[in-house]
Amino acid sequence: MEQRLKTFVQVVKILLGILVIQCINLQVFHFSYYRRLSEQNCIRTIDLGIPRGKIFDRNGRILAEDKTCFHLVYVPYDLKEPETVASVLSSILGLDRRELLKELEKKSTNPFERRILKRDLTQSEIAAISEYAFKLPGVFVQAGLDRQYTLGTGACHLLGYTGEVSQEELDLLKDEGIKPGHYIGKYGIEKQYDQLLRGKSGGYQIEVDARGHQRRILREISMVPGNNIILTIDQTIQEACINALGNREGAIIAMDPRNGEVLALVSNPSFEPLNVAKYLVSPYNRNNPFLNRAIAGQYAPGSIFKIITEIAALETGEIGEHDRIECTGSMEVGDRIFHCWKEEGHGWIDINQALPFSCNIFFGTVGMKLGVDKILEYAKLFDFGKPTGIDLPGERSGNLPSSEEAGGAINIAIGQGAISVTPVQLCTMISAVANGGNLWKPFVVKKIVAPDGKIIKEFQPSLKKTIFISDETLTILKRGLRNVVKFGTGAGANIPGIEIAGKTGTAQIAQKELGLPTRGAFACYAPADSPSIAMVVVLDEASSGQAARIAGSIIKRVFTSEETVSETTISETEQTQTLPSGSQGFE
Amino acid sequence: MENPNNPCRILMLVTGVLTAIGLLLLFSASKSIASVSGSLPVYVKQLIWIIIGILMFLWLKDFDYRHWNKLAHLLYFVILIFLLIVLAIGTGRAGRWIKIGWFNFQPSEFAKFILVIVLARYFSIRDIERFSTILGGVIITGIPFLLILLQPNLGTALLFIIIFFSMAYLAGAKKKHLLILIIIGVLMSPLLWMGLKDYQKQRLIIFLNPWKDPLGKGYNILQSKITIGSGGIIGKGFLKGTQTKLAFLPEFHTDFIFCLLAEEFGLFGVFVLLFLYYVFLSQIHRITLTTQDPFGRLAGTGIMVMFLTQIFVNIGMACGILPVAGIPLPFLSYGGSALIVCFICLATVYNLGKNTALF
Repeated sequence: MEQRLKTFVQVVKILLGILVIQCINLQVFHFSYYRRLSEQNCIRTIDLGIPRGKIFDRNGRILAEDKTCFHLVYVPYDLKEPETVASVLSSILGLDRRELLKELEKKSTNPFERRILKRDLTQSEIAAISEYAFKLPGVFVQAGLDRQYTLGTGACHLLGYTGEVSQEELDLLKDEGIKPGHYIGKYGIEKQYDQLLRGKSGGYQIEVDARGHQRRILREISMVPGNNIILTIDQTIQEACINALGNREGAIIAMDPRNGEVLALVSNPSFEPLNVAKYLVSPYNRNNPFLNRAIAGQYAPGSIFKIITEIAALETGEIGEHDRIECTGSMEVGDRIFHCWKEEGHGWIDINQALPFSCNIFFGTVGMKLGVDKILEYAKLFDFGKPTGIDLPGERSGNLPSSEEAGGAINIAIGQGAISVTPVQLCTMISAVANGGNLWKPFVVKKIVAPDGKIIKEFQPSLKKTIFISDETLTILKRGLRNVVKFGTGAGANIPGIEIAGKTGTAQIAQKELGLPTRGAFACYAPADSPSIAMVVVLDEASSGQAARIAGSIIKRVFTSEETVSETTISETEQTQTLPSGSQGFE
Repeated sequence: MENPNNPCRILMLVTGVLTAIGLLLLFSASKSIASVSGSLPVYVKQLIWIIIGILMFLWLKDFDYRHWNKLAHLLYFVILIFLLIVLAIGTGRAGRWIKIGWFNFQPSEFAKFILVIVLARYFSIRDIERFSTILGGVIITGIPFLLILLQPNLGTALLFIIIFFSMAYLAGAKKKHLLILIIIGVLMSPLLWMGLKDYQKQRLIIFLNPWKDPLGKGYNILQSKITIGSGGIIGKGFLKGTQTKLAFLPEFHTDFIFCLLAEEFGLFGVFVLLFLYYVFLSQIHRITLTTQDPFGRLAGTGIMVMFLTQIFVNIGMACGILPVAGIPLPFLSYGGSALIVCFICLATVYNLGKNTALF
């Protein structure tokens, strides 16, 4: 040991000697080379951004993809006269001069790194910039990527949008290779599956001349493409929903009642996913365009809730199929008078007529017999008041009140009072009715596929629970729902050739008390005998009859344009993202 | 103490000069265009840490080093807990810190010193010539090694391995035993690899091959070589460095502080620094050799190995002969945890030297 320790000082000498030799090597023998590089400050890095995977619909049609485009970039260090550059650019691009100057003079941690000034230039903008290139030292046109959405605003709540990473997000994502200026998913699918959609950024390290122009490439790293996502969404149905909804405010969600696959999801007002900033200010931010009403809009279910009341009544035996109740148009409960929507009343009716005509007196009376707790118990069976677990960010749970807060049995029996639900909850409920009691978890992502075609993840339908509903109850209920469309309140959805069954709902009382406009809703499924689609339409400032008409028109489109596209294999259409080498537009 | 050739005095003198150089460099660094405005300049913050470090030294210099022997178990246990906490809630660029108020407490720095103490104790009471003793040492080193590797902080984790092997070797372990260990280690490394998470693997790949990330780490390597090389023999002059001023290197006040020195003071400055480090290390060596107490001897050796490795890895990384590792340069790099640990080590060695002088 003594010997080893004594000689250890030699190790110290050797190691420090190596360092001295390397420093002599760098500082004496290579001095002029490194001095030159240092004096010219001529190393620049070009980050081309992070490529993202494509998003497909269930039939392999592209809903979102990257496109190659040209960005206007600048290198803070090479920008000798920001004022001149700002005035030239403002006249060419029509941007605000002061805003530009503020951006150009922003302090940066690395003044040699290119920063994006304007994304996705048009051909004429590129031409104009190249024309004035001599006046714009330090400003370049660089190839890059931008997102493209086939359906534009129509699928914005579903697909979401991407945006520049924020400082807080950066702290969380540093380990994943995200750097300032990179784009990440901010909303919808783009956010929910951001990590899987994201590829790896590529770029160059270049040597430049005194004017900041590329002399040669020192290092290059190619981009790694991200994974592709295949949705359960059917573009045809999605488009039908977009068209049917038009400019009305509201939401539509369609689902396969046999497995929970979401076929379409639309919410209005919408936003342009490539121009999000516009929707943050007036007048475009009116009525919250970033709210996905299909999963986060909370509405009083109104008469649609009578489905629950009917199930509870028949299952508990509180009322038989042919028990009649008289509707005179109103009834007195304590010191309050309770109205049916039909002033002259429905007369003596049984449950077979009460549902199609949506009689409030009938269901109110049944509700009183059942009591608040029993009704809430059945509502709980359908998981109202709980998020459905759909794979989209921002879902709300609605509100299933306690028996004290419910506002009385009559109110709750007809879906008014403190109860609120989301369209997606209604959709899982009506699906469960359609399929005989199976409550499926709705989902929008079917498969995640690697760029080489390998399946990374495949999502299977997930059955949350099976609610026991007796065959007798189901028969009566389904006949009633069919009759709603045949001759009842939902006759607007009566389409020749397709048997639709559904229930209308108008959120009146609660809405009026809150000073909000009337909301019309319709929950339905079709075909009535073997349902393959369930749908919920909720409209602001419209009647439930209009909602039914919209639902009918969509289902008609779906079943008449049965151009079943065979599932194309995604991997074949895939190729590695490549961008022009050097990527300098004009040099 | 009256002898001007007393190693303890030389040690303190050299440390004083080193910390002064560090402050000077950090002052220069704070003139960079990228330095964050608003908060205190780094040299002021470092000065605060140096004062805390000196107070720590003054407090511990009369703390009999043999107390560390008794505290070894407790300290080891405490630091493992802290390393676990870091893994659970760690923040900062590599998830290595625990934020305590305004102090970024970095347990892995303290773990280095504690490992030295624990191994010194262990090897001094066991029969080093037995293979079981060596294996026991592997376990002692292995636990904190794994916890730090998972942060992931490969640089510091490898430092642990070097400390272990050096101490075992210098304690008199059989060369055959150490060779067997190395072979087992190499064979086991794929298993370890499979246990890592994707982002941890990613980090390690970039550590081993920085050109996989040419826009980040790879960029740093080229820039650090340009910075050092462009300094030449006499340097660009104090405050006149261009590379560091223009923020080519993002971490030049911490891991790349050597570049700052090499750019502004040239090869001349490099010589002075390395000479100071040589004197520093050789004085620790002198003190270590004079003591007869096995624990003291091993502790001194371990501290010397720790300083030597940090110096070599940090400067080697800056000159581009070693991969980029987040290892601070003793007494120079900005950072509270590292600096305080350096002063604790200094106090331990000082006390070791004074106690032997009494015998």
